[in-house]
Amino acid sequence: MAPRVVVLSLASDFGCQVQLSNMTDEILDVLGVIDLGYWQLASSGHMPTEYDVAIIEGAVTTDEHLELLRDVRQTAAVVIAMGACANTGGIPGLANLVDLDERYTVVYGSGSALKVAPGKRAPMPLDEFIHVDYHVPGCPIDTSEFLRVLSHVLLGMKDRVPNLTMCASCKLNQTVCFFDRGQLCLGLVTRAGCGARCPSLNRPCTGCRGVAPDANLESARTIIVAAGHRADALENGLRIYNTSQEVRG
Amino acid sequence: MARLTVEHVARIEGHGNITVGVENGEVREVRMDVVEPARFFESMVVGRRFDEAPLITSRICGICSPNHVVTSIKAIEAALGVEVSERTKILRTLLVYGSYLQNHATHLYILAAPDYVGLPSVFPLAASMPEVVERALRLKKLGNDLTTAVGGRAVHPVSAVVGGFTQEPKPEVLASYRDMLLGVVDDALATVELFASFQVPDFATAGEMLALTADDDYAIYDGDTAAMDAGWRRPAGEYRSFVTEGIVGHSNAKHSTVDGRPFLVGSVARANINSDQLNDAGRAALARSGITLPTRNTFHMNVLQAVELADASARCAGYVERLMEMGGSSAPEPFRIRAGEGGSATEAPRGTLYHSYAIDDDGLITRGDVITPTAQNLANIEADMRAFAPTVADRSEAEFALLIEELVRAYDPCLSCSVH
Repeated sequence: MAPRVVVLSLASDFGCQVQLSNMTDEILDVLGVIDLGYWQLASSGHMPTEYDVAIIEGAVTTDEHLELLRDVRQTAAVVIAMGACANTGGIPGLANLVDLDERYTVVYGSGSALKVAPGKRAPMPLDEFIHVDYHVPGCPIDTSEFLRVLSHVLLGMKDRVPNLTMCASCKLNQTVCFFDRGQLCLGLVTRAGCGARCPSLNRPCTGCRGVAPDANLESARTIIVAAGHRADALENGLRIYNTSQEVRG
Repeated sequence: MARLTVEHVARIEGHGNITVGVENGEVREVRMDVVEPARFFESMVVGRRFDEAPLITSRICGICSPNHVVTSIKAIEAALGVEVSERTKILRTLLVYGSYLQNHATHLYILAAPDYVGLPSVFPLAASMPEVVERALRLKKLGNDLTTAVGGRAVHPVSAVVGGFTQEPKPEVLASYRDMLLGVVDDALATVELFASFQVPDFATAGEMLALTADDDYAIYDGDTAAMDAGWRRPAGEYRSFVTEGIVGHSNAKHSTVDGRPFLVGSVARANINSDQLNDAGRAALARSGITLPTRNTFHMNVLQAVELADASARCAGYVERLMEMGGSSAPEPFRIRAGEGGSATEAPRGTLYHSYAIDDDGLITRGDVITPTAQNLANIEADMRAFAPTVADRSEAEFALLIEELVRAYDPCLSCSVH
């Protein structure tokens, strides 16, 4: 029997769900091998009580999110973290750098009477709270990587998210290093797996896939300073998608 | 009392709940609760370098990210006094139009159409009406492919930066898009006919209508803001002087008014204000839609998006031709970092999108402000629900719910955008 799959979103821009809907060449085939149980963006069908696979987009930013996440973990045999928000806190995590009250004041003004969405939390990725079985990082996800992971789930294979840094991909692509052009690039420490799309489009890596387990942060700092960039350039650059690492310490 | 509560309304982008209560023909309560949590983008960009603003604010919305990128870049350029080449402007216009094709196709076929054919989602149609689903996927794919060809990626494009583009599509790739774009004009016309065949209520919104307008184009990339009823036209970058934002207790998204009135942005406002600028394909599509402009019927948002699909396909083919003939460069223009303030606007698929920033001498952002189309529409959505609900309160519970959801969905609301 086809596994029942639900697609859920926490704090996000829906971009990874849009990427799912953008699999125009493959989506009908995918729907042929799964039982799509719930997808708020595309269907008004209700959330089922039983399901096998939960695909979760977004960061945890409220108590309600956390409650939902723990319920899902109780029910689903497999949890897939989809996108930067779910994997590293992503862009919502950038708000971690500003005091919560100050964030409200900048956006809503002082003395605001806002009552909704109580239980605001510091934005965090899923694995801060639950065990995640499969990871599809990136902002947004790469659909071919998603399809590969989904096939691994369906076949019962292990999560094989790459541990290498982006530099390995640039070598394969024969892309001239940004450091040789006087520009800072976070590919030095960022997890590979997207084919180094931004560098291949002439733009340095911004670290959306998170820090690679194989990254040598200390030597990266040395290289960055030797190339004439500020000593805090690595930390400051990584903050765009990866503040949760700082918050956790 | 006819009472409707829908939590986490499906087939819209983001999380929102609707409550409508009608008793003896009188509306007791109407609320669009936007429960989507704020991510505090305006506070996030403070202290970041100017060239990170497009990258960060793009993540306000995965659905219309090309608009956020382009609008943010234009506002930064206004602040720094950067002038870009004609070629860059046309490429950016194509980037935005790619998002139109993708968004309008998604909204019409995946989000809105199921209401009118009595299904929870579009997917079952793949078996019963494969040609409709194939047409939807074809339009959506072309939009994504166009954005990818120009910007390097459909969601959160990469190569558009302050001053120009880091990479351009090869001439032969560009040429192939001219033919593909002309090839979907018929798909767009078929979309108009499909949506013209769906029965919609006879309803007139009381709201003002705002859209960008330009003398020589169906304004998408640039233009002044025009108000249809009041008849004024103002520089779009100065939006903070005419769009008033206020906080309401039940919504994480602010509500907007103009001249003290709720207002509507999106396809109805654009088509009303810029009807003279529609091209031949757009006019042919309008004729098939059966709609006479101007219209105040909010439900016409759907079919007018389809009209825009026809106009956009032919218009983009023309832009591609110009790029092939004109030469010039889109390589980023050199500029000096200086302190300054700037605002800008583009027409996103759902309506006008505004960004503005203040930058200090070191190029760090000291203030950021974004007003999204859905944030502008929210007050009008509630006003429309209040006016519309009593006229259909005698219908069955299921019909009442469907009609109210159809009204909300016609706005193509993007709630994560509206809150950001």
